[in-house]
Amino acid sequence: MGKYIIKRVLQFIPVFLGVTLILFSLENIVPGDPIRLIAGDKKLDPVTENNLRASFHLIETNDDGTIKYDESGNTIETPMWERYVLYVGGLLHGDLGVSYQKSGQTVSGILADKYPYTVRLAIVAIILEAVLGIGAGIVSALKRYSFWDIFVTFLSALFVSMPAFWLGMLLQLFFGVFLKDATGTAFYLPISGAGGPYAEFQDWVYYILPAFTLAAISMAYTARIMRSQLLEVMNQDYIRTAKAKGLSRRDVVIHHALKNALIPVVTYIGMDFGGLLAGAILTETVFNWPGVGYETYRAITQRDWPLVLGSVTVIVVVVMVINLIVDVSYAFLDPRIRFGAPKNER
Amino acid sequence: MEDKFGGVSRRGFIKGGAAAAALAGLAGCGKNNAGGASSGGSPSEAGSGKGGVLKYYINDPVAIDPYNTQETEGTQVAKCLFDSLVKYNYTTKELEPAAAESWESNDDATTWTFHIRKDCKFHNGDTVKAGDFKRGFERICDPSMKTPSDVAYHLDPVKGAKEMQAGKASEISGITCPDDNTLVIELATPMSEWPLVCAHQALVPVPQAALDDPDSFLVAPIGNGPFQMDGTWVSGQYINVKKFDGYYGTPAKLDAVNFSIQKDPDTAFKEFQAGNIDFCSVPAGRLAEVEQQYGTSDDGYTVTPKKQVLTGAQAATYWIICEMADETLGKKEVRQALSLAINRQNICDTLFEGSRKPATSCFPPLIDDSPESTWEYCDYNPDKAKEILEAAGYAADADGKRNLTVKLSYNSGGGHEDIMSIIQGDFEAIGVTVEQNSQEWAAYLTALDDGGFQLARMGWIADYPNMDNFLYPNFYSTSSNNYGKYANPEFDKLVEDARKITDEDERKAEYRKACKLLGDDMPVIPIMFYAHDHVGSEKIQSLYFDPAGIAHLGEASIQA
Repeated sequence: MGKYIIKRVLQFIPVFLGVTLILFSLENIVPGDPIRLIAGDKKLDPVTENNLRASFHLIETNDDGTIKYDESGNTIETPMWERYVLYVGGLLHGDLGVSYQKSGQTVSGILADKYPYTVRLAIVAIILEAVLGIGAGIVSALKRYSFWDIFVTFLSALFVSMPAFWLGMLLQLFFGVFLKDATGTAFYLPISGAGGPYAEFQDWVYYILPAFTLAAISMAYTARIMRSQLLEVMNQDYIRTAKAKGLSRRDVVIHHALKNALIPVVTYIGMDFGGLLAGAILTETVFNWPGVGYETYRAITQRDWPLVLGSVTVIVVVVMVINLIVDVSYAFLDPRIRFGAPKNER
Repeated sequence: MEDKFGGVSRRGFIKGGAAAAALAGLAGCGKNNAGGASSGGSPSEAGSGKGGVLKYYINDPVAIDPYNTQETEGTQVAKCLFDSLVKYNYTTKELEPAAAESWESNDDATTWTFHIRKDCKFHNGDTVKAGDFKRGFERICDPSMKTPSDVAYHLDPVKGAKEMQAGKASEISGITCPDDNTLVIELATPMSEWPLVCAHQALVPVPQAALDDPDSFLVAPIGNGPFQMDGTWVSGQYINVKKFDGYYGTPAKLDAVNFSIQKDPDTAFKEFQAGNIDFCSVPAGRLAEVEQQYGTSDDGYTVTPKKQVLTGAQAATYWIICEMADETLGKKEVRQALSLAINRQNICDTLFEGSRKPATSCFPPLIDDSPESTWEYCDYNPDKAKEILEAAGYAADADGKRNLTVKLSYNSGGGHEDIMSIIQGDFEAIGVTVEQNSQEWAAYLTALDDGGFQLARMGWIADYPNMDNFLYPNFYSTSSNNYGKYANPEFDKLVEDARKITDEDERKAEYRKACKLLGDDMPVIPIMFYAHDHVGSEKIQSLYFDPAGIAHLGEASIQA
C-alpha cells in the first residue's frame, strides 16, 4: 500500500509540470498584453510600465532590484523558461505570485479568501447529491416501472443532458422572478451572491440554488448508478437466500442489498467531490458566487495570468489528492482490492 | 393500477404542497429585515443609528488602497475613506479646503505651501501631519511596492518624483515638511493649476500603519475621511464602511455605506428593482423607460425622491483618433472631411435616447463652454465634406464612390458596434469606403500601442476638471497617451506657456488658442460627450453624484 501511494504521488510531478507548462505558454500565445490592460485606456508612461513589468519578473532586474538595461538602453525581457523556473521555485515556498489586476494582492491570499466559499458550496452540493441521488435511486429500483421510477428516470435524463449554467438560469428565472411575481414577493429565493452583512436574506439561503445547480448532473448520475446497482444486487443469490430466510423486505434491502450496491456510488460521489472542490466555473459565474471558479473566470477575462495559473495549480493538486484518497479508500471499502500486490496473487 | 397511480399522485401532490409550504416558511425565516437601517445580521454597531445604510453598486475595484486608486470604483470607495488636501466643487468651479485649510504659491507657481488642519485625524486616532501626505505621495512613486502604482504620473510635475520612480532616490526631494502642519511641494516646472491635481483621490495622507502592515492596508485602508472601513474588502462581494466619529468636517449623515459588488450593471439593475440596491447605472437602451418610472433629477446630478434618474453631463469625450503617420489620415483635409460627414445628433438620439450630447470640440462644456473652443469641423455638413475631398484630389466616380478607403478600429462589446455602423454609413454617404476592424479590449489596447491603425475609437475622462488635462496628456508630442502621435511644435509651445500663466483668464485664453489649433488639425474626431445614466432609490433623500461619476456619500442622506 505504501509503495502504491508513493508511486501515485510521484505521478503527480509530470502531470503538474505538464499543466503549468501549458498554461505558461498560453500566456505568450493569447493576444493582449496584460500589463497594458492594467492601465486601461490611459496609457502608462515608460517608467511606470517598466516598474510594473519588473515587479512581475517580466523584465530582468539587477540584484538590487533596479531594472537591467542592455547596451542600447532597452529593457531585457525575461525568457519564458527562466520565469517558469522562478514560478516553480516560488511555488515550493508556497508563493504563487502577485495578481496583475488586483494591485499588490498575492494570489495565495486571494485564493485563501475564495476557497472557503467553494468548499462550503461543494459540501452542501455533495450532501444534496448523496441524499437526493441515492434516495431517488433506491425508490426507482424498488418500485421498478412505477410512476416514481419513470419520474426519476425522466428527471435524471433531463438533468444529465441540461448544461449546468442553463439549469441555473432557469432556476433563477423560476425562483427569483416568476415565483416572486406570482406570490406577490411573499416567497422567492436570492439568485446572486453569497449574502453578507446587509444582504436581503440570511447567508444560508444563498446556498440553495447554486448548490442544487451544482449537484444536479451528479445527482442524476448517482440516482442512475444506484438504481442499476441495486437492481443487479437484488437478483443475486444471497438476496434470494435472505428472502427465503423470511427476512422482511426492509431488512433485506437495508442489511444485505444496499451495503453492496453502495460501493460504486460512494466511489462516484467521492470523485465528484474532488471535481466540486475544483470550483464550478459555470455555476459560480451564473450565481455570482465568490468562489475560486468565478475568480478563475474573471482572471481569464482580465488576463490575470498569475491568478489563473495559481488557481489552476491549486485545483490540479486538489483533484489529484482527492483522486488518490478515493483510490486508496477502495481498499477499505472492498477487501477484494489490494494495491501493489503482484498480479498473479490477485 | 389506476387507483394506485391516482393515489400516489394525489398523495404526492399533497406532499409537494406541504414541502413547498415548508420551504416558503424556511425562506421566510431566512429573510433579513428588508430595507431599513438595521438590516439583520449587521456587522457591528454600524446601522444601529438613525442615519440609515445606503447600498451602492460598484464593480470589484482594482485597489481601494489610495496608492493606486484610478477607476471609478476604487476612487468611490477611497473618497469615503480619505480626504485629500483640497476638494473641487463642480458647481462653483472653485477649489475648497479639505485636509488643508489654506494654500499659496510663490510668484512663478513652482513652490506650493499647504497648511494642514490641526484637527484632522486618521481612523486609528493618529493626527494627520504633513509627513503623512509625504508618505502617501511617496508610496505612489515607490517602485518597490509589491505592485507599483500606475497613477504615478499625477506626481510627474513634482521635483524628484521621477527620480524616485526610476529607483534613483528613496524619497521625493521636492516634498518637504518644515513642521507638522506645513507641506511644501516644489515643482520641476511652473504649474499654476497644481492644487487641482492635489484634489485627486490618490494624493491623500496615509498613516504609518500603511508601511507597518501593507497587506492589511490593501484590503482595509485607514484614512482621514468621513467613513472608516467596517471589516475588510470581501472581493466580489462587498465593502462596508461606517461613519467615522472623529471626522474633522461635517459628520456624515449616513450611518454606513454598503458597497455591493455585482457581476455586471444588468445584474445590479435587477437588484435595484428588487430593492436590494439604492444606486446603480441604467442598462443601455432603457433610460427613457426608467425616467418615466422614477422621474428625472432637476439638475442631472442630485437624486431626491421622485426625481431619481441622473442624466447630467460628464467631463468626458468619446472620440476617434486619427493615426497621423498614416498616408491617408496624415492629410488634414481627409480628417476634416470625415469629421464633417458624421451625423452626431443622429447617434445621440438613436442610440442614447438623447442623453449624450453631440461633441462640438474636444472640451466638454463642463471644461470649457466658450464659443471660442467650438470646432468648425464638428458640424454635420456632408456637402462641404464632399467639396473638401474633391479639392484634395479624391474625385467621385459615376456612382459617387471615391478612391478612398479607411479602416475603422474599435473594441468589441460595450455598444461600440452600433456607433461605428452609423459612422460607417455616414462615411459611405460621401463616397468613402470603410473597413471595420473590431478586437477584444485587451488585444485592441495592444494594437493601439503598436500603431499602424487609421481611425481608432477611444474616450477621455478627465483626471482633473481643467483644459490642460484634455490637451496635455492626449496631444502634447511626447505624452504617452498621444496614440495618434500628433506632433505640432506650435501646439506644444502654447500648452507649455499656458501652464506657467498664473492669471486665470490669460491662462484660459492661451489654452483656447491651443484648442483652436487642434480644431483645425483634427488629430481626433470628437463624436459625443458622455452623460450620466444612473438611478437612485426612492429612499434616498439626497445624493449628489458629481460629473466625474463619484457620489459624495459624506453628504448624502437616506430615509432610515
